[in-house]
Amino acid sequence: MAEPSVITDYLAALARQLPGPVVEELADGLDQAYLSGVRSGLPADAAASTAVAEFGKPHVVVAAFTEAIPARRDARRLLIAGPAIGACWGAALITARAWTWPVPAASRAMFGASLLAVITLLAFASLSRRYRPVRFAAMAGLAGVCVLDASLLAMAVSMAAVKLPLALATVASALRVAYAARGLRRACRVRVG
Amino acid sequence: MRAEELKGHLDGLLLAALEDGPQHGYAVMDALRRSTGGRVDLPTGTIYPALHRLEQAGLIAGSWSVVGGRRRRMYQLTPAGTKALSGKRADWRDFAAIMSAALEARQWPSPA
Repeated sequence: MAEPSVITDYLAALARQLPGPVVEELADGLDQAYLSGVRSGLPADAAASTAVAEFGKPHVVVAAFTEAIPARRDARRLLIAGPAIGACWGAALITARAWTWPVPAASRAMFGASLLAVITLLAFASLSRRYRPVRFAAMAGLAGVCVLDASLLAMAVSMAAVKLPLALATVASALRVAYAARGLRRACRVRVG
Repeated sequence: MRAEELKGHLDGLLLAALEDGPQHGYAVMDALRRSTGGRVDLPTGTIYPALHRLEQAGLIAGSWSVVGGRRRRMYQLTPAGTKALSGKRADWRDFAAIMSAALEARQWPSPA
């Protein structure tokens, strides 16, 4: 049976933003709703409109799927924990007089830019309501956290004297990189529909 | 009843809807409507992400089948989901008992 245009238009709107298997599942549910309307005596057009209205506006459905992305929750948690871990590293670097280290200005600038990019990705993943960009930004943000923390940990390992602030910052970063890596692994495993 | 009012309880309702056996998403919504006398007013499309979330949490398991030439995703409770449902039921009974005791202790509105 050919689907009424109101249903195909609705599914096309969802398909622009959601992965294929998700739309396929919604299409089956929408078909059930439509047939239920027809069985209850509604004309085909009215049954289709009722089914679409019952499912909710496409942007509401997309927002609900976006909210359910596990990597989005991980991105939010990393953003919340960021200032505390950043403060640990700040204290460690001040204690170690990091400004006297022979680190090239380009390396410092690159680290700063990377940090800013990762924060932006995590913030976007936490706030946006667009499914695909959120999923991509969250995964890129989690990967970025792993890389940044790995570079901080490598620096900590290379330091001769380990004081309490550095030890605390190292433990915090090690925990964060483990959390981000777990989230990234799960995000890669999760079916996108 | 709107989505905001259901916050925190939707998972329990969905798990309960799957208690009698595997269901597809629309049938879960239908069961939810029937069990609540039609008072749950959620856009059906938003039930699916909640089911996906429960699946990612390991409380339900989803699998594809083909019905009438169309692929259909079916969900069923996992052992962890059955345990979670029991826990949610027990929590709800405790909560309801506490609220009933507190709210019904005196007549409302109180007589002038």
